[in-house]
Amino acid sequence: MPLSLCGKKMTFNLTKKNILVIGGGISGMTTAVEAAEVGHNVTLVEKLPYLGGRVIRMNQYFPKLCPPYCGLEINFRRIKQNPRIKIYTSTTIETITGSVGDFSIQLKSQATFVNDNCTACGECEKVCPEERPNQFNYGLDKTKAIYLPHELAFPFKYTIDDAYCTKENCKKCQEVCKYDAINFSIEAKSFTVNADTIVIATGWQPYDASKLENLNFNQFPNIITNVQMERLAAVNGPGKGKILRPSDNIMPKNFAFVQCAGSRDEKHLAYCSAVCCSASLKQALNIREQIPESTIKIFYIDLRVSGRNEDMLIKVKADKNIELIKGKVSRISEDPLTKELMIEAEDIMSGKKSKEKAELIILATGMQASASNLNIVKYNEYGFINEDGQEDGIFSASCSKKPMDVSSSNKDACGMALKAIQENEIMRY
Amino acid sequence: MKIIKPDIAFINEINRDTGFSLKSCMQCGTCSVVCDLSPKNKPFPRKEMFWASWGLKEKLMGDPDIWLCHQCGDCTTYCPRGVKPGDVLSSIRKICYYHYAKPKFLGTILKKPAYLPFVFAVPVLFLLLVLFFAGTYIIPEGDINYSTFLPHKYLNTSFSVLLLFVLWGVILSVRSFWNALDKHSSGIDKKSNLFKISISVIKEILIHENFKKCTTQKFRYPAHFLIFWGFMLLILTTILAIVNVLFFEYPFSIWHPFKVLGNIAGIMFLAGCCLVIFQRITNRKNNSIYTYTDWMFLISILIISISGFLTEFARLGNWRLAYHIYFFHLIFTWILIIYLPYTKFSHIIYRTLATIHARYTGR
Repeated sequence: MPLSLCGKKMTFNLTKKNILVIGGGISGMTTAVEAAEVGHNVTLVEKLPYLGGRVIRMNQYFPKLCPPYCGLEINFRRIKQNPRIKIYTSTTIETITGSVGDFSIQLKSQATFVNDNCTACGECEKVCPEERPNQFNYGLDKTKAIYLPHELAFPFKYTIDDAYCTKENCKKCQEVCKYDAINFSIEAKSFTVNADTIVIATGWQPYDASKLENLNFNQFPNIITNVQMERLAAVNGPGKGKILRPSDNIMPKNFAFVQCAGSRDEKHLAYCSAVCCSASLKQALNIREQIPESTIKIFYIDLRVSGRNEDMLIKVKADKNIELIKGKVSRISEDPLTKELMIEAEDIMSGKKSKEKAELIILATGMQASASNLNIVKYNEYGFINEDGQEDGIFSASCSKKPMDVSSSNKDACGMALKAIQENEIMRY
Repeated sequence: MKIIKPDIAFINEINRDTGFSLKSCMQCGTCSVVCDLSPKNKPFPRKEMFWASWGLKEKLMGDPDIWLCHQCGDCTTYCPRGVKPGDVLSSIRKICYYHYAKPKFLGTILKKPAYLPFVFAVPVLFLLLVLFFAGTYIIPEGDINYSTFLPHKYLNTSFSVLLLFVLWGVILSVRSFWNALDKHSSGIDKKSNLFKISISVIKEILIHENFKKCTTQKFRYPAHFLIFWGFMLLILTTILAIVNVLFFEYPFSIWHPFKVLGNIAGIMFLAGCCLVIFQRITNRKNNSIYTYTDWMFLISILIISISGFLTEFARLGNWRLAYHIYFFHLIFTWILIIYLPYTKFSHIIYRTLATIHARYTGR
């Protein structure tokens, strides 16, 4: 929209809007704070018990390789300070009705059984007898059934995994809690909120590597995905930042990266996620930094790095211990005698079948659309949200539209905040 | 400097036969790895996909690897792009049959359905000519005895003439094929003994060693085994019968050992054909594309086996149409035999030679 037209000054007579933001990842948070800080009311809905989405589970993110707490902490603060942002965590969207200016959204809040009295003292966790796989670490370790999602969780309180907690039969945490923060009589509740415009920032999920039959992801513990590798390398990860292989917690020496694990494959993800190559290069450099004697092989179809990420490729190429092998990995098997993982590909440059040993194999799985299914929204064949052709007042941000990196996501999220604000306004000049 | 001259017609032909496979290949090499028949060094079919998409026809015509492929379809099943490398190699092999066809026009008429009437006309006219010389082109009276309709002397002589013609075609084609293989191989391993290698390759073919390695289409091993051995035993029975009628009584009784052997072979042959046809129609796991050449070969051997049995039943049951069925059966048998060097049937020759050559040159 032009800001000046034929030399005439143009003004917007902006009304105060109620904006619903779906998804509390970095994009949803960005949209929420950007809209709220210019005076609009924002309702932020997140299905997990904490904000931060996928980015908070990274070790470092592009382009400057910052740890995620660095950027997200500021966003948490901006949200906390802003009275115009209302947050609903552990909440999902049931239905959306109405039209622009008058959307009515039915929400459903899961019972987490922990109220705002919680001070995160941690006494409950000590007595809890049940364990659950830690989703925050992509299943690499376990937490108790009552747990703090991570040490900078926002909102900063414990939560209970309904699927693993035995509730009334146990009540040990309730007995030990000094603040009356745990109450098992809380039930899931449905309620309705209204909004003028809606921004969807449901983001992405890593492609399920167990669907790649020939790579045997489920069969061998030392095959991990790239998001798990982020957790292995993160200081708040299962190994406290030490890269240890899951089978026996020994620091591996030989690594292999499998690019396009499911990506550019008609039977899995037909598209390129555009960030996995850069991510693997980054992880390879991390490994080399931490384990100086390590050797790394990166199997790829094409190395697709763009912008300043290309610097990493230059660094990788200069490292003698990193070998870039052009050829898609088609099989991972275990040597029956030595129990070593064998990785097979055709080395296209030399025209030989290559069968290499590796102690830890990282599958660079692509970005799949989140399995959201909102009734009013139109999705494309891959499950991403169409940018065009949506109803008026409905916008989609960042990875809910297509795979992108964090900085592009943030730019897009800002743009969507602006669109949500400007929708239905009359231009005056 | 080497200038590459892509053969556009060659590329288009393969694309047409394989659902535009060459356009979608991204050269990832999955196919080469999932194939258990593909050797460690210079594996196929990834490099063939590359050569084909560049239209390097001459190179592929002299490439033994396209014959090492048994079209299991493992590559096609695992291809991330929905490309059909198995079908591409099959398509290149089909082009090979016509490329090496001598005389050339026979290759051309067998390639296109439009020439089908001509394909039939040749053996029909030939057989009518034989009947004319034998003076038996009138349906004989009395009990069915095929030798009164077409005396063995005439049948066997005319058939031998045709075989010599086929042999001439085979020798010419094979010579240029072997030369092309030589030209494109990286030098001959002097130590190897061609005779010994040939024996070991033929042994492998007889026990269908390579077909056992197919993982996604397991039926291929029993199906090809049945057709192959059915056919071989039928040839054996025919030779035995030809020799036999020179000295002994004709026709054989149904329990004569040759007759029993022939019937068992016929059943194997028919069962193999039916299995392949059934799988082609119902098993759509990797969406293989079957072209005119594939179907023509398969349907002609199916018709031969069915009409063969009908001929036998007609004689035993004294059917009125017996001689017509016999005529029909002979036509199809001759179609199979005289066009051998120009149809898919010639894979029996090319594949054997290419495998021997590959082993001989240390491929």
